Amino acid sequence: MKTRFRLLPLFALAAGAASGQEVSVYGSTLAQLWKSETPGFDKATYAPATQFLGIDALNLGTERLSLHLFGWGMADLADQSRYNGANGSKTQGDLSFGYLQYRFPTANAELKAGRFSVNQAVGIEQVDGLSARADLRGGFTVSAFAGQPVLYKNPLQTGHEKNDYAFQRNWIAGARIGLRVPKVGEFGLSYLQDGQNAAKDLPRPSETDYTRRQVGLDLRISPVAAFDLSGRTVFDVAKHPETPAGETKPSNIAEHDYQVSVRPTDLFALTGTVTERNYRAFYAGTNLHSLFNQHEKGKFSAYGAGLVFGTAAKLQVTADFRHTKREIYGEANRFGVDAKWAVAGTKIVAGAGIHQVSAPDAAASPDPESLRYGTSHSEARLWAMWETGKLSFSGDGIYYKFKDSTNPNLYGKDAMFELVVSAGYQATPEFKVAGDLAYGANAFAKSETRGLLRLEYRFGGPAAKGGKK
Amino acid sequence: MSGKGSLLTLLLALVLGTFAACGLLSPQASFARTHPEGLSAGRPLCSECHSNETMKGGFKTFASFDHTPSFVGNHRSQAIQDSASCATCHAPAFCTDCHGGKVAMSPSVKLGDRPDRISPHRGSYLSLHRLEARMDPTGCYKCHGRANNDKCAACHRRPQ
Ligand code: HEC
Ligand code: HEC
Ligand code: HEC
Ligand code: HEC
Ligand code: HEC
Repeated sequence: MKTRFRLLPLFALAAGAASGQEVSVYGSTLAQLWKSETPGFDKATYAPATQFLGIDALNLGTERLSLHLFGWGMADLADQSRYNGANGSKTQGDLSFGYLQYRFPTANAELKAGRFSVNQAVGIEQVDGLSARADLRGGFTVSAFAGQPVLYKNPLQTGHEKNDYAFQRNWIAGARIGLRVPKVGEFGLSYLQDGQNAAKDLPRPSETDYTRRQVGLDLRISPVAAFDLSGRTVFDVAKHPETPAGETKPSNIAEHDYQVSVRPTDLFALTGTVTERNYRAFYAGTNLHSLFNQHEKGKFSAYGAGLVFGTAAKLQVTADFRHTKREIYGEANRFGVDAKWAVAGTKIVAGAGIHQVSAPDAAASPDPESLRYGTSHSEARLWAMWETGKLSFSGDGIYYKFKDSTNPNLYGKDAMFELVVSAGYQATPEFKVAGDLAYGANAFAKSETRGLLRLEYRFGGPAAKGGKK
Repeated sequence: MSGKGSLLTLLLALVLGTFAACGLLSPQASFARTHPEGLSAGRPLCSECHSNETMKGGFKTFASFDHTPSFVGNHRSQAIQDSASCATCHAPAFCTDCHGGKVAMSPSVKLGDRPDRISPHRGSYLSLHRLEARMDPTGCYKCHGRANNDKCAACHRRPQ
């Protein structure tokens, strides 16, 4: 509701801009039809239609000023809805971003005002406010933002819980300062504060904390193109209640996450990753505490390795391995191979992959006596794309096979699959229509059929370059 | 906006203005608004055209932005440090297919005609995730932990 009112002035601006300047409008309309057959239930049909719309208006009086808007709306045209909106309504939507941008001719300096997403601090934040960035002399870069966080209320929160969420997250601000060193790389230090009213300060003290105060360190060391080390460490610097005597104090390190990559030639690359996350600090600020449980015992850690042979232009084979350890669950390994093949001279690209997951048994409930079930499985994927003239086709199939068919989450089926085929027609440079058809079987549905009609368009503005948008 | 919020906002504008006034800003010209050269379909290898040069003002080689499997898998590290160069090619709407507080549909559905693209998950994930997510719920937190997750809350109400 509120969003819609905030939108009005922005659209007015867009309309005003449209009179003179460079305006481009892009978007897509997706109409979906879903049919699923679940044993014991009636066949269900869902028909959501989604409209994505973006507007870029450049040169608003000066070539430095521009306006960028993007949002979507969805309505379910059938009786049942796969998911109801926040309050059981059949329509929903969001303004993903809508901001005015001022770009300086030097230093990649820019100012944004309105609704935007930032990822310059610790995570990705959607903010109504102001942001700025610039490169400084001596290799420094600075960026900062402040405003009001976009709130995502959980419809299951009621009464004071609901008010607490908005009360705690009353504002958000973050900043990052980076230093770029020639022949070395870049180092960054960031700070994020989301909300200021700690749960314990509420008029009615709450158990649930939605606020975050975090400090991040990021680095990238790449003295030569063949070597690249990057990653970050995030610290939780919020105040927490005293740990009761006898319990171990949870770590204040939210995460370490690093990747090293060595690419001696274009035909070969080796990658290694290490990750460690501590739940209380890492899950800080979640609005779904029941799932992202800050009190979970122990920590999460993982390491992995990847090998790439060949180039994307011809044949590329990737082997990957990842070991994960979650204290309350155990250690799991996932490994496999993917291949991607492009037929030179034609517009055919195809890929295949196979992965094995060996994972420990899980308990159906925290009760140690309860049934234990295996989660190990294999997965296979095969896909291809073909473009000829104005027509394009694609196909994508995935298949899962589970080792332990007594896993209650399988409802007695030990295999799942989904096959998606798509055909598209680029009618004009501005306009493309495509249809996808998906068919599959999974634990929930004996069969599930999904149809999707996609219209994509882009009018005005400079011709699409690079990543299209 | 609360008092404190607007205060901070003002402060921010002041700080940037001060930088400019003090001549602290780098004199280097900003990147072009859009990448000057058209690219062929699929993930670009910057080094094919830019060879081993260093990116303007960046102190990093173009080759380190080659969209290799490891770059794509680790794009967050690059995104944190180099938003200005990403923006020459990627409008924010490119990222909102997968990232956003409130996203309309699963990325694998939205990009159903692009099996060559990455996706955080594929297939009928509502049923699959029950079997897969146990290994690493922390990876899901990045996109679902602080976003619009009323869908998830429908089943995940109680601490497990
Ligand atoms: C098909 C060839 C080609 C590819 C591939 C390519 N570029 Fe470029 N790029 C150019 C040309 C030509 C220019 C304009 C001349 C120049 O500035 O060097 C340019 C300019 C740029 C600029 C703007 C420089 C400025 O001064 O404004 C940036 C930034 C850039 N490229 C980054 C990249 C990155 C990052 C990649 C890989 C993801 C890439 N390019 C891939 C050809 C290419
Ligand atoms: C020279 C233009 C250019 C620059 C600069 C550039 N990209 Fe890309 N990027 C592309 C193109 C083209 C694609 C492929 C899009 C497609 O397949 O539709 C792509 C794809 C991607 C993908 C999706 C991969 C997939 O398969 O779905 C990610 C993520 C991405 N880029 C991140 C970044 C980040 C982060 C930066 C900045 C560090 C960046 N890119 C800079 C052109 C660029
Ligand atoms: C096709 C889907 C896709 C697109 C498009 C995409 N990303 Fe991502 N992004 C991912 C996935 C998957 C991850 C999680 C990877 C992991 O587990 O480390 C991720 C992680 C991130 C993170 C780290 C978030 C966190 O909280 O740690 C950032 C930052 C990010 N992406 C920025 C971008 C930017 C900027 C763009 C646009 C240029 C972009 N991404 C486009 C799929 C995508
Ligand atoms: C790069 C971001 C990203 C990551 C990482 C990610 N997801 Fe998602 N996921 C999305 C988006 C976007 C949607 C569609 C919008 C929504 O449902 O919120 C989605 C949808 C879903 C759905 C609903 C699927 C459907 O068919 O309706 C489930 C279930 C899900 N995700 C679970 C997970 C789990 C479990 C993980 C971790 C293993 C995970 N996701 C990791 C972005 C992500
Ligand atoms: C239809 C009910 C349902 C919905 C909706 C649902 N889940 Fe789940 N989820 C489950 C079940 C059942 C499990 C398995 C629990 C078990 O095995 O004990 C699970 C497990 C998980 C796990 C692993 C939990 C753990 O601690 O091991 C994650 C993470 C998860 N879901 C994320 C999500 C996200 C994110 C969404 C929303 C995008 C979502 N789920 C929506 C039913 C659901």
